[in-house]
Amino acid sequence: MNNINEKLSAMYDGELSMEEIDDLLDIINEDPSLQEKLSMYGLISHASTDALNNVVTLKSNRKKSNRFLSNVWLSNSITAAASIALTLIFVNNVDLSRMGISSSYTDQISSAINSKEAKEVAFKSEENLADYVMKVINEPNFMNSKNSLDLKNVGFTKNTPKGDVYSKGNQNFQLRIEKNNFGLTQIKYWKHGNKMIYLIPLSDGRALTLYGNINLSTAVSISQSINS
Amino acid sequence: MKTNSNDSDSALIEKAKNGNEGAFNFLVNKYYPRVYASLFSFTKSKEDSEDLAQQTFIKVWQQIKSFRGDSAFFTWVYRIAINLAKNYVVSSSYKKQKLNTSIEYAEIDITSFENIESLLSHDESMREIERFINTMPESLKTAFTLRESEGKSYEEISIITSTPIGTVRSRIFRARESIVEFMQKELINNE
Repeated sequence: MNNINEKLSAMYDGELSMEEIDDLLDIINEDPSLQEKLSMYGLISHASTDALNNVVTLKSNRKKSNRFLSNVWLSNSITAAASIALTLIFVNNVDLSRMGISSSYTDQISSAINSKEAKEVAFKSEENLADYVMKVINEPNFMNSKNSLDLKNVGFTKNTPKGDVYSKGNQNFQLRIEKNNFGLTQIKYWKHGNKMIYLIPLSDGRALTLYGNINLSTAVSISQSINS
Repeated sequence: MKTNSNDSDSALIEKAKNGNEGAFNFLVNKYYPRVYASLFSFTKSKEDSEDLAQQTFIKVWQQIKSFRGDSAFFTWVYRIAINLAKNYVVSSSYKKQKLNTSIEYAEIDITSFENIESLLSHDESMREIERFINTMPESLKTAFTLRESEGKSYEEISIITSTPIGTVRSRIFRARESIVEFMQKELINNE
């Protein structure tokens, strides 16, 4: 039986021959315990690697008084630079009023985002983002960026000859710059395994994607370096 | 480089395209947890996530012949799930619609996923699994992580770790077995 289970694990990874697959499929179809084990393997994959399970958007870090911002896509009148500042406020749970943003203004935002149209736009954007993040994770060449940036002022150097990875000590990441910013006005980030994915709107309307082993504050420093 | 699902599922996808229900059920069992978790993050409802997951795989079965492999299989499945979830969110008549969903082309037994769904609904369970993985012996953890997180093939892991392919296969299997045992002992039985 252990041999069957080991074959199941190998088949899960696509490492069996066509003949072996046919034989094993017949056995699996007759054995609910093997089917359940297969789903357990799926759950393990999800627990250990799946970004969608580990979505750590900034929403979850906000305090209750800022709850209306849970789906917020801030007004275009707010600059990207200010948005980054606001995002950091969310992370640190600092009250918005300390940024000089009046309650009437936040009420207007609240009202706007609660409209059906705004929710649909927000959801559509979330969908596009999810697709994009899946590309970052699943397509190894996607982050092989042609963009070459000098990030020495924040301590990162580009590894050569591979040329795609920026590193500083044990921190490293790949970057990619999109021409449009997906309508983003605040940083969004996800955890995938031991790596992070940061999607950061730049002040010129583009979006910066960072994928690697770096923390949020470093990601912000990098984006500020590019903005300047 | 071999990706997590693009290559590894190709044989099963081809069989499913040719109407092999066993191959399709294998893919359902493999990806149901991830699809369910994605939907649950949108709906926050166990029942609706179950319904949407079932509808997702019905659509996958109906449309699998159109899957050309341009993206990873899961990415394609995920897109279908998200489109259904979008309709769920914007349509106030979702409850009414779902009663009309045809299931004549697929027999997907969702009852066997009960434990899986229960675990997926608890973030702490997921964190427990992650923690347990970190306590595994280094040799098992390395092989498992290279496979699951990096999407490496057994051959690539064999080269990286200077270990015979048979040993790689065995280590990944033993890692999975120990995690399943942990889940059954510590998480499912304690629910």
